[in-house]
Amino acid sequence: MGKKILVTLYRDEVAPRFDLCSEVLLVTVDATGHEVRRQDLVLAHSSADDLCDLILDREVAVVITGGIEEEHYHYLRWKRVEVIDGVAGLSGEALALYLRGELEPGAILFKGLSHE
Amino acid sequence: MDQNILESLSGLDRADLPRILSALPFGVAVLDAERRTLFLNRALESLTGFSTADVAGVFCRHVLRGSFCLHGCPCLSQGGESAAPDACGESREGTLINRHRRKIPVRLTSLPILDRAGNFLCTLDVLEDLSALKDMETRLSISASPGQMVGRCAVMEHLLRILPAVAQSGSPVLLTGESGTGKDLLAEALHRFSPRTRESFVRVNATPMPEALLDAELFGQAEGPDGLPRPGKFQLAQNGTLYLSEIADMPLAQQGRLLRLLDEKAVLPAGGDRPMHLNVRVVAATGRDPEEMVKAGLLREDLFHRLNAVRLHLPPLRERGEDVGFLLAHYLKLFAAKFRKQVLGFSDKAQALLASYDYPGNVRELRNMVEYAVMVCPGETIQPEHLPAHLRFPLAAGATDAAQALPAQGKPSGAHKPARKKA
Repeated sequence: MGKKILVTLYRDEVAPRFDLCSEVLLVTVDATGHEVRRQDLVLAHSSADDLCDLILDREVAVVITGGIEEEHYHYLRWKRVEVIDGVAGLSGEALALYLRGELEPGAILFKGLSHE
Repeated sequence: MDQNILESLSGLDRADLPRILSALPFGVAVLDAERRTLFLNRALESLTGFSTADVAGVFCRHVLRGSFCLHGCPCLSQGGESAAPDACGESREGTLINRHRRKIPVRLTSLPILDRAGNFLCTLDVLEDLSALKDMETRLSISASPGQMVGRCAVMEHLLRILPAVAQSGSPVLLTGESGTGKDLLAEALHRFSPRTRESFVRVNATPMPEALLDAELFGQAEGPDGLPRPGKFQLAQNGTLYLSEIADMPLAQQGRLLRLLDEKAVLPAGGDRPMHLNVRVVAATGRDPEEMVKAGLLREDLFHRLNAVRLHLPPLRERGEDVGFLLAHYLKLFAAKFRKQVLGFSDKAQALLASYDYPGNVRELRNMVEYAVMVCPGETIQPEHLPAHLRFPLAAGATDAAQALPAQGKPSGAHKPARKKA
């Protein structure tokens, strides 16, 4: 059984703000963790509510993002979406770490600066 | 903190600069040319939830997480490169989301620091927490909002509960209720909660005037006095809401045109030959009994049935029970804030007078009374003498117990009836 992982984007980084993100990376992985599909979605506008809708519509299992308001964080958690927030770093690196099971909330991934 | 920058900042070898920055009552971040974090003072550490050690070298957008960071950072060009130092320096308001997932309103001022030779050294980002100010602003704007409808009695609660659904529907609405019960506020609220909220809300008071003039006023003229088409109120309300504040004042001929407009969604301006398509939601109100108006021939029956599809009735204040006390407290708070006075409540006697009054002018009268009382009250408690004279008249007759002294009266009909004891 595969799952979908959504990474909020700001250029090639994880977006620092969930509510202001206007682009997301949607990656589908199979049961073994291998990537089977990758989509870059450009959003019509930045909106935390709309992004939550998208996450639920697409049946996303995991969200990797930067700062997120408590209200949206708890809403997604309530909807059984895993949220790894407070991540500062390149989106590719964050995704790779997640797939290796090494990404923690609040991770600061910029090289030589990790303090988690 | 980078010692070289620190030394250059002060022109001296001062190791205590971080301590000085940390003593400041607002947040300060020291950033390098690429806007990487070098230092956060204590106030900013508290605001963001990050310590300097956590985020040293991290781009400030991942530390401040400001709304101004992603769109319109004052110190970054479109491509994400650092802009010229003089591009910084302005203040802007926005929000940040801190490590504890709390969104905080802030004001950011970015100050470029140059050395004596004019070379860029670093940027000082100064952040002020605006939470307290924004809270107060929100509180005051909500309290002072003219469209604010409040009420706790069952009828009002039901009305306020169905209001958003009615507003969303787009159907014509008929509002009924005595003068001062809040029909105008309800009409505004219907507009505000509707999808038309960004469009015009046009109020029409069909005061008696020559029919031709009223016709032009309402439905426009194909050719005005200046030779140009003159839009009427309906055209001005295009895509929005048109509120007829007293439908009974509208002559029957215009009622007929209004009915056609509701059916055909088009209007023919006076003197024109081409109907204009209109998308207007009509909200009509009356202080009289619409069924009686139909019987009396003041309101066209077909128009009444068209408008009566959704009918909202606002009860008079005397039928709203506990709302009197609630509204007194509500308006006391509102006007105390508006007039910046420390008025905290009503004395027992003043409360008894206010509770036993019938309010023939309904909420509007209660609101005006409280406004007057707060205005003239010099202390913290409103006394009977701070209330309008007509309300405390029975007290002047020498009664000590206001409630007992008030003469029993029937249903009030005038605007200035003396207070009476409630049954």
